[in-house]
Amino acid sequence: MMHSDALIARAREGDKNAQGKLVQLWYKRIYNFSYKFFFDHDMAMEVSQKTFISMHKNIAHLNELSRFRSWMYTIAVNYCREELRKNKSRRALSLSDLHSGEREESFRWEESGARHENPERQLRQSELSDILQKCLMELSEEQREVVIMKEYEGLKFREIAEALNISENTVKSRMYYGLDGLKKILERNSITKETIGYEL
Amino acid sequence: MSYKPLGPDESVLISWLYGELDEVEKAKVEKYFQENPDELRKMQHLGATKDIMSNIQDKEVIAPPLFMDDDVKVVPMWKTGSFRTIATIAASFLLIIVAARLLNTEVNYSNGELRISFGKKAIEPNAGGLTAMDVQLMIDESTKKSQEALDVRLAESRNELDVVIRQTLAGNTNQINELVRNASTASQTEVRNFVSTLQRENLAQMRDYMQLSASDQRKYTDNLIVEFSKFLQEQRTQDLNMYQTRFSRIEQNTDELKNETEQILASIISNSPQVQQSSY
Repeated sequence: MMHSDALIARAREGDKNAQGKLVQLWYKRIYNFSYKFFFDHDMAMEVSQKTFISMHKNIAHLNELSRFRSWMYTIAVNYCREELRKNKSRRALSLSDLHSGEREESFRWEESGARHENPERQLRQSELSDILQKCLMELSEEQREVVIMKEYEGLKFREIAEALNISENTVKSRMYYGLDGLKKILERNSITKETIGYEL
Repeated sequence: MSYKPLGPDESVLISWLYGELDEVEKAKVEKYFQENPDELRKMQHLGATKDIMSNIQDKEVIAPPLFMDDDVKVVPMWKTGSFRTIATIAASFLLIIVAARLLNTEVNYSNGELRISFGKKAIEPNAGGLTAMDVQLMIDESTKKSQEALDVRLAESRNELDVVIRQTLAGNTNQINELVRNASTASQTEVRNFVSTLQRENLAQMRDYMQLSASDQRKYTDNLIVEFSKFLQEQRTQDLNMYQTRFSRIEQNTDELKNETEQILASIISNSPQVQQSSY
């Protein structure tokens, strides 16, 4: 677990250090959730900022410490939806137009532990990641948020249901059809375990 | 857990895929897969999709420093925005009320008429209670009073005028009597001197008048003669021009008549029987 109830409790009581620690612990998760949702660095940064500002303002009203994780994703997903609504009129997202994130790649690579690995392999892994991210973007908004929360953020179905304020069965159903949709998208793009193994 | 007529629903299958079923449910699903290997294959494909998708890497990011102003500022109530707004509105109302009090402002709305008045209330005549008869009586009364006042004033004026005329007549009579009395007392010599003086003065005046009159008349006559001669000269020139024009017109007519006569004669000659015979 990336946080303890004691840390959250201190943060809830207004401890600045505890709140700062929570930001440090959670920033990467919220950023990656948003990034996978938008496949856009700037929008992910925007959502992350807003999420933590909201956390800072509202953590005092968090009743159950055990619900902190789903609460954080509730805030993040709400900002993601808001941002998506605002940007729908400005940007027409299509698979071909999607930003590959190459601008930010170099410095992030420098900061990551991956720089110690084989650079060529790392590059191929990064390219594959982007291709799969594009496939993920083809899912509907509802399926995408469930798949990201389950598959990449590791939330339990119950936590996802709490975060999205829907029933657990609905979450599972969206997950099922989300995976089924991804299977078809991968087939259409001729992406299989074998091709990935060959590439890597 | 719910099952479709032909097997478990999507939520059960997805729970199986993520290993979140209890042993009993898991056994049921696996039994279902043994009976339906296609379903098992489908779930295996979903599992493979899950594995492939797990290759999406997390992006490395460093949390930016967040400066959050979390000091709860105790703002006095009178410095809050809402209090200021309310205070502003209240102050405005108070100002309006004081101004209205000082100006004796009155706002009335009745019969679709909004009336805003300042100062003391004017007493309005109660016109609504009067009938046409009352108004007529008031007019008659007023006319009667005016007539009476006029008669009184006229009588007074007449009396004053009579007094003034009487005084004037008395004064004039006295003056005439005085003059006659003086004239009767004047001597014969004085009267003669006075008359001769009058005659001399009249004679001198007449002489001057005649002299002035004679010189003016002369100038006038001279101008008249000059003007008349100019007029005659002009008239003569115009007459001459007119005669000349008429003569030239007569001459022109004569020429035209001559030409016509010649043409007529020529046509008579050309149409005579001899000329016709010779043509045969």
